[in-house]
Amino acid sequence: MIFSLNLLKKFVDLKDISLEELLHKLTFSGLEVEGVDHIAKGKGLVIGEIIEVNNHPDSSHLHILKVDEGKKGIKQIVCGANNVREHLKVIVADEGALIGKDDVKIIKSTIRGVESFGMCCSLLELGVDKSLLSEKQCNGIEELDDDAPVGEENVLEYLGLDDVLIEINILANRSDCLSIYSLAKEIGALFNRKVNIENCYVESTEKASYRVSSLSDNCRQFALRVVSGIKVGKSPKWLINALRSQGIRSINNIVDIGNYVMLLTGRPLHMYDLDKIKSREFVVRDDLTCNFKALDEKDYALEKGDLIVTDGENPLCLGGIMGGLSCTIDENSTHIGIECATFLSARVRKTSARIGLSSDSSSRFVKGIHPSNENETLHLTSYLLKEYASAKDFEEIVDYDVRNFEQSKIECTYSYINHRLGTSITNEKMDEVFLSLGIRIERIDEDKFIAYPPAQRIDLKCDADLSEEIFRIIGLNEIHPTLPITPMTLGGLSDFQHKKRVLREHLVSLGLSETLTYTLVSEEESNVCDLLTSTCTCYKVLNPMTVEHYYVRKALLPSLFKVVGYNKAHQRNDVAIFEVSSIETKEENFTSLGIVLNGMKKERGLMKQRAYDFYDISGILESILSILGINKSRIKILPLKDSEYFHPGRSGKFLLNNKLIGVYGELHPKYASQMDLQNTYALELNLSALLNLKTSNLKMNEISKYPFVTRDYAFTIKKDVSFAEIETKLKRQSSNLIKSVDVFDVYEGEHIAKGYKSVAIRITYVSNDHTLKEQEINEAETNALKVIASLGAELRK
Amino acid sequence: MIERIKELAREAEDKISSASDIEQLSKIQLTYLSKKSELMSFMSHMKDLAGEERAKFGQLINSVKQDIANNIETKKKLIEEKNLEEKLLKEVIDITLPSNNYDKGTKHLFQRVIDEVSDIFVGMGYQIAEGVEVEEDHFNFELLNVPHDHPARDMQDSFYIDETHLLRSQTSPVQAHVMLEAKGKGPIKIISPGKVYRRDDDATHSHQFGQIEGLVIDEHISMSDLLGTLELFVKKMFGEKREIRMRPSYFPFTEPSVEVDISCFECGGKGCSLCKQSGWIEILGAGMVHPNVLRMCGFDEKKYQGFAFGIGIERVAMLRYGVDDIRRFYTNDLRFNDQFHKE
Repeated sequence: MIFSLNLLKKFVDLKDISLEELLHKLTFSGLEVEGVDHIAKGKGLVIGEIIEVNNHPDSSHLHILKVDEGKKGIKQIVCGANNVREHLKVIVADEGALIGKDDVKIIKSTIRGVESFGMCCSLLELGVDKSLLSEKQCNGIEELDDDAPVGEENVLEYLGLDDVLIEINILANRSDCLSIYSLAKEIGALFNRKVNIENCYVESTEKASYRVSSLSDNCRQFALRVVSGIKVGKSPKWLINALRSQGIRSINNIVDIGNYVMLLTGRPLHMYDLDKIKSREFVVRDDLTCNFKALDEKDYALEKGDLIVTDGENPLCLGGIMGGLSCTIDENSTHIGIECATFLSARVRKTSARIGLSSDSSSRFVKGIHPSNENETLHLTSYLLKEYASAKDFEEIVDYDVRNFEQSKIECTYSYINHRLGTSITNEKMDEVFLSLGIRIERIDEDKFIAYPPAQRIDLKCDADLSEEIFRIIGLNEIHPTLPITPMTLGGLSDFQHKKRVLREHLVSLGLSETLTYTLVSEEESNVCDLLTSTCTCYKVLNPMTVEHYYVRKALLPSLFKVVGYNKAHQRNDVAIFEVSSIETKEENFTSLGIVLNGMKKERGLMKQRAYDFYDISGILESILSILGINKSRIKILPLKDSEYFHPGRSGKFLLNNKLIGVYGELHPKYASQMDLQNTYALELNLSALLNLKTSNLKMNEISKYPFVTRDYAFTIKKDVSFAEIETKLKRQSSNLIKSVDVFDVYEGEHIAKGYKSVAIRITYVSNDHTLKEQEINEAETNALKVIASLGAELRK
Repeated sequence: MIERIKELAREAEDKISSASDIEQLSKIQLTYLSKKSELMSFMSHMKDLAGEERAKFGQLINSVKQDIANNIETKKKLIEEKNLEEKLLKEVIDITLPSNNYDKGTKHLFQRVIDEVSDIFVGMGYQIAEGVEVEEDHFNFELLNVPHDHPARDMQDSFYIDETHLLRSQTSPVQAHVMLEAKGKGPIKIISPGKVYRRDDDATHSHQFGQIEGLVIDEHISMSDLLGTLELFVKKMFGEKREIRMRPSYFPFTEPSVEVDISCFECGGKGCSLCKQSGWIEILGAGMVHPNVLRMCGFDEKKYQGFAFGIGIERVAMLRYGVDDIRRFYTNDLRFNDQFHKE
């Protein structure tokens, strides 16, 4: 909120306190200053009187003026404004003057052959915001009052424009500081200065003739004062200036007084023209469904729950948000009712949000208002109406109030505050702070006390809140850094976190780059390439910002494909990326790993590069299993034959305890061309399933002291028998002397029957306890060849 | 005979010196030193000589034989040396051509910050706590002292899934889970990094962003401990010379609450465009855990106190690495990502 320094100065003594000091202290007491601005700027200004107006001989719109500047003499000024006339008092920026927010320098100039020694200014040119000026003020030079003192050089002060605007970020707990009175009190406490807030009181002249009540729990207080004999007219200058500084344009004295009181007290008021209301009763209701024409002349459909001030039946005002058009004050109003009520914050917020209507009033209710100053507020309003709107008769205030308002009472100890802050501030010093903030302290014993905060401090509820008051007023300088003293704790990553990190670093070391993509995806992206979660349901947000970010994704690959697409579109064709992210669906949550390889693997710059192939993606997968110590035999790897996303002959899936936990391979050419991702290899893996798998502890194995023997065999076999089958069968069913089975050639084509392939393998035989004899090897070999034969293989000669 | 021997010796010497490869040398060796060679055939005349003459003759032949052998050997070495030199010369390559690629990829900047911050706090005995992203509003708000009608719970600001679930708007719900699991017994020392979601999108706000939340709870934890801990962290993360300061602020789940600024690492506090001429950069929010939060999460607020802090991951990365737009983290333009290759 923006505060006028001049207005604050009216209520708190800021003499000899520099602006810098004020701003610094505000910021470091929790009232962060976000900006400082001058309402207008001008150096070298003077008030002048136009004594002669002549048309410029060479221009249809320029005038040559003679302006009397009093002591400073008479100047010739060329001016283009069309509202110049003789005897008009104007603001003159002399030669050398600096005007406006950008300090524009005025220089002597010759305009179409005529010398000009200054400039007549509009307020716009002095930097006043356009929204605060009338159209006339914007289009011409400022017309000063006839009694403006010619020769006066403190022009901004004369105009009430010598004000500094301080923008303060009022935090949610300090809504009390949205009022000038409270902020003045706060500043008074910070600088230990006197606060001058007068209690206005206007005696009633009449008995109350209206009744007020509420039928809603969300409005538990409603006060009204009836004032008669008012005259609607122009506001006094000081009031216009005060409001202008706060960014409010003057309307008329009544509206202006309402706004001014709201600024000072923080309490939104509403005023009714009682002559336009038939009934003598105000009833707040929340059980109506009706149409309502508000002050802004728009119709709003109100529902049950909305707080409506009625005359018993008909809506008069949308409680706390905006008055109705039917009973609004106009220039002929004389007999008015001033409302000062408490509408529940949450309820105002709900209605305001639903109908899309908010006002200064509603935002104050939403943020929280002073809970108990309705009488003071009504008296202040009465006083101002009496002074500036000729109000004569004042009825008694009628107040419906069923709140159980209790002054807040906080038990606390001085030692608690020091313990919480890590300080050793004396009790006396704390007492001083409390006193300056208007918090009354009742000592129970040496350490214990009861604090009674002032009513407007609705944020002070418990002992921790009191520690904050000490902290923000004097604590910042008293706190010195220490380190926590606690029992020793064992820090570190959990086993899961550790493995996850090792894997990420492994993938990076393989040359893959890590990505970070959005969790929320579009509907189209939400249900493609989701093989691991094809039976799961996506979460969908109720209130997306765009359709691009609508569903909580259940697969990483679509996001990664997008990244590849983006990079390809930016001339980066070779992409090897991965991402580790959580996947959350209605049925299950897990950590997923996605990898995509696309384009060429640059093994040696451009001199040696090759397209990524299936065995790159399967190699990465095997390295992951190997790092995690997961024996391949624990996982079932099968060809993935029936996916629309993966190549039926170049992809695999793997299962753990019959649950699908991973897919990998080349993208299906159809899907790839649809996505423009030709020659792409991808993997998605349920990492949680793998990382949570118990693996055996590392333990040394005896290394055989005896030499090994290798023998090579070549055979033809049906194409669909996989090497894995051959290897597994050999290891499981053949001799235990077989240490390893390695394939070193696979061939299809000439000399090999169709549907068959030639496979060459090397078997390594070894024993841990003796050197193998020829006969033993031969036996093992015979056995192995039988096993191979059982798979339909035929040994090649 | 002796003359002939000497002649052979001269002849051999000439041939050796004019030999240009190993093969020729082998031939010379065969010609002069094999048993059937002319020179060696003179050995058979030895027996015809007697006494001193015999000895002299023997010496002559031996010395000639030795000389030839030595000369061959020397020449052989010379030729081998030369051959090697030629071979090496032929083998010269351009060592500036592209190498075989053993380079690593690049960690994402977001993860890099998480890993760095985690390492610092793990070093101080903290554990890492992680939580779900589709969270109950009870954990995201209620237990953190943000009651039902609080404006921060406005539907406008968070992504709701249904009446009671939303994409977490902060990593703080992890705190609540950890505290409830601790069943009222301290100490707790955790940080929880992760993604959070808010309905916000511009150059400095993304609807998805990262936070690292820290929480310490024990019997004697104070605001000064918070200051000391953050100072240690900031110096490690941003450099020994960094100073920190606190400004009072407000968060519902801490009391007192502070914003923490660090002295600008670009200008050292003199004022520059990074710190908007103030010399300070806002880096995180923190405070003492609100007693209501402790109580709701199963801790005796009379016995235990704690502090909490929250760091914006992208904000730290943007400041530290001069990133100008938060959306860069999510675009994954590899020309951007790969810039952060260096460890």
